[in-house]
Amino acid sequence: MATKRRYLPLASTRHLEKMMTKYYALSRYHRLWGKPLKRPLAWITSGAPVELLRAFNIHPVYPENYGAICGTRRVSTDLCQVAEAAGYSQDLCSYARSHIGSILRPDLAPMGGLPKPPDMLVCCTNICGTVLKWYEALARIFNVPLLVLDTPFLPGDLTAHARQYVLEQLKEMVTALERLTGRPLNRDELNRQLARSSETIRLWKEIRQLCRATPSPLNAPDLFIHMAPIVTLRGTRQAVDYYRRLKDEVKQRVQQGQGAVEGEKIRLVWDNIAIWYQIFGFFKMFSQQGACFVTDTYSGGWVMELSPGDPLESMAATYTEIFLNRSPEFRARQMIELIQDYKADGFVMHSNRSCKPYSLVQEVIRRRVMQQTGVPGLVVEADMTDQRVYAEEPIRNRVQAFLETVGGL
Amino acid sequence: MGQYFLGVDIGSLTTKVVLVNTGSEMVARATGRSGYSGRTVAERLVTELLRERGMNKNEIAATVATGYGRVTFPADREVSEITCQARGIAHLFGDARTVIDIGGQDSKVIRLLPGGKVIDFAMNDKCAAGTGRFLEVMAQALELRVEDLGELAAVARKHCNISSFCTVFAESEVISHVSAGAPKADIVAGVCDAVAARVATMTSRTGLEPEVVFTGGVARNSGVVNALAKQLGCPLQVPGEPEITAALGAALFARGIIGD
Repeated sequence: MATKRRYLPLASTRHLEKMMTKYYALSRYHRLWGKPLKRPLAWITSGAPVELLRAFNIHPVYPENYGAICGTRRVSTDLCQVAEAAGYSQDLCSYARSHIGSILRPDLAPMGGLPKPPDMLVCCTNICGTVLKWYEALARIFNVPLLVLDTPFLPGDLTAHARQYVLEQLKEMVTALERLTGRPLNRDELNRQLARSSETIRLWKEIRQLCRATPSPLNAPDLFIHMAPIVTLRGTRQAVDYYRRLKDEVKQRVQQGQGAVEGEKIRLVWDNIAIWYQIFGFFKMFSQQGACFVTDTYSGGWVMELSPGDPLESMAATYTEIFLNRSPEFRARQMIELIQDYKADGFVMHSNRSCKPYSLVQEVIRRRVMQQTGVPGLVVEADMTDQRVYAEEPIRNRVQAFLETVGGL
Repeated sequence: MGQYFLGVDIGSLTTKVVLVNTGSEMVARATGRSGYSGRTVAERLVTELLRERGMNKNEIAATVATGYGRVTFPADREVSEITCQARGIAHLFGDARTVIDIGGQDSKVIRLLPGGKVIDFAMNDKCAAGTGRFLEVMAQALELRVEDLGELAAVARKHCNISSFCTVFAESEVISHVSAGAPKADIVAGVCDAVAARVATMTSRTGLEPEVVFTGGVARNSGVVNALAKQLGCPLQVPGEPEITAALGAALFARGIIGD
C-alpha cells in the first residue's frame, strides 16, 4: 500500500554523504599516507578530547560511529553474533560487539572494518564504563598503547578536585602523545583546534535551536544523520563549512515556514541513541500521524560549549561535564528545559539495551518530567544496533496508544 | 442508515466482538479463539451475531477494530487496545482510575481520567511472563484446564515459589515442584502469585489510584485476582465479562464516529 510522503529531504545530505565518504575512504587508505605524512592512526571514543589528538596531527576514527554505520546497514546482528561466538556476552554494548565482530570477520563488515591496526587507542569514560573494557580488549588484540581519560561521575556540579583529577590525566596524556609521536605539543595548534571545535559546536547549537520554530525544520532522523561530522570531524575546516551550509538551509526552511514533517500537529522530544536499523521506519510511525521530533538529548550531547581559559583546564571541565556523566536530577532538568524551550507535547525514551548509563535511570526521569511538565512520556524497549531486540508489533502498539494519548482521539 | 456500532478486538489468543446501539448500550457480544486467522474468526462471529438477531450488515453504522489483528480487519478506524480498554472501562465504571489488563500475550496497566482519557500506561516487555499465555503453559504442564486454576488455588495450603521470569524456565520450575511431590493446588497458587507479582511491579511505574479495575481473560481466574489484590493491597473490581471490555470500548468509539 502506497503511503503519502510526509517527509521533506534536506539538500545538504548530498554534501554530508560526500564528506563522510571521503573521510572513510581516507581512513581506509591510512596505511598508504599515514607513515609518510607522520600522521598516526587513533581509534577513539566519541566523548574523548579529540582536539588534543588533532593538535598532534593524529588521524582519529570512531568505532562508535562505525557501529552506527553497521546498524544502519543492518549488519550489526551478524557481527554481534560473531563476537558472541568468540565469548563476548550478549549483554555487552552492541557497538562494542559489532566492532569486535568486524575485527574478527572483516568479510562481513562494511568497508572491511576500520583501518587497522591503530597506532594507539584513546578512551574517555565520560560516556560509559563499558568503553574501558572494550578498549582494553582492543589493546590486547592489537598490542598497542591505550590512553585512558577517567572522568569521575558527577552527582552534582563539577568539583575542584574532580577537575584537578582530570587535568592531571590530560597532562599525562600530553606526555604520552609527545612520546608516541616524537614531537612536543604545539599549544598554538591546540588553541586553533579548540577554536574550530567551538565554531562547529556553536553552529550545531544554532541549527538545533532553529527547531524551536513551528513547524520544526528538522525531525529526529535529520538530527541523527547530520550529527556525524560533529562526532567524527569536530574541529576540522570541513565540518565548519558543512554546518554553515546546513544552517543556511535550515534557516531558509524556517523563513519559508517549511516543516520537516508535513502538517506538523504533535511536537516530541527524543531521548537516547537512535535505533539505527530502523532510523526511518520507526520515525515514520510518528511522521505519518503528523508527529515531529523537534529535538533530542542524544545529538544534543555534542553541544558542549568549551569552557574558557587554559586549553587543558577547559577540556578537563568540558569533557567531564557532559550529560551522560551527570545525575538523574541533571538529566530530568535537561529534559524539562527541552520540553519547555521547544514547546513539546510529549517525549519518547528509547530504553536501549546496549547503553546502560543512558537507559537505567529513564523511568525515574520519565516520572519526574511528566510530573513537572504535565506532558506524557513513552518508553520503548529496543537496542541501537542489535535488531534481535526490536519487536515490531509491540512497539507499533505502544506508539499508536501514545499518539492517541498525546494527540487526543 | 444503521443503528448499531461494532467493536472488534482481535487479540493474540481470543477474538471478541461487541455491538452497541445508539444509546451506547451493549446489545450483543461473542468471543472465539483467534487461532490462525483472527480476521476470519471475527468475520464469522459477526455473521453469527447478525444472524441470531435477524439483522443484516447494513444495520451496522460504523466499525472500529482493535487488538493485535486490528489492521487485518476491514473497519472504519483502528484504535489501539489501550485507548479502547480505557474507554470501555470508563463506560462501565465511572470511578475507575486504574485498569490492570492481562490478556493472552500482553499485560498492561493504564491510568485514566474520568471519561476514559489515558494519562499513562505501562506494558510488559517482550516476554510472556505475567500473561494468559503463561497460565496456559503452566496449566498444560499440570494437566489442568486453565479455567480450573482459580478454584484449585483457593484450596492451597502453602504457596510454591515460582521465581523465573522466563515462561520456559518457569515451566521447568513447576515440573521440579511436581517431582518434589508438591500438591497441585500449592503449585497453582505459586503460579498465580508469579503472574500477579509481574503485573504488580508494573503498577509502580504508572502509580496506582483507586478504583482499580481488572480486565482481560485472566481476570476470570480468581487465583490471580486474589493474589493481585493481596500484593497491591487494594480491592479490585472485575467486570462481569472481563475479556470483552476493549471490544466494548471499540464499539463506543465506532458510536463516536457518527456523533451524538
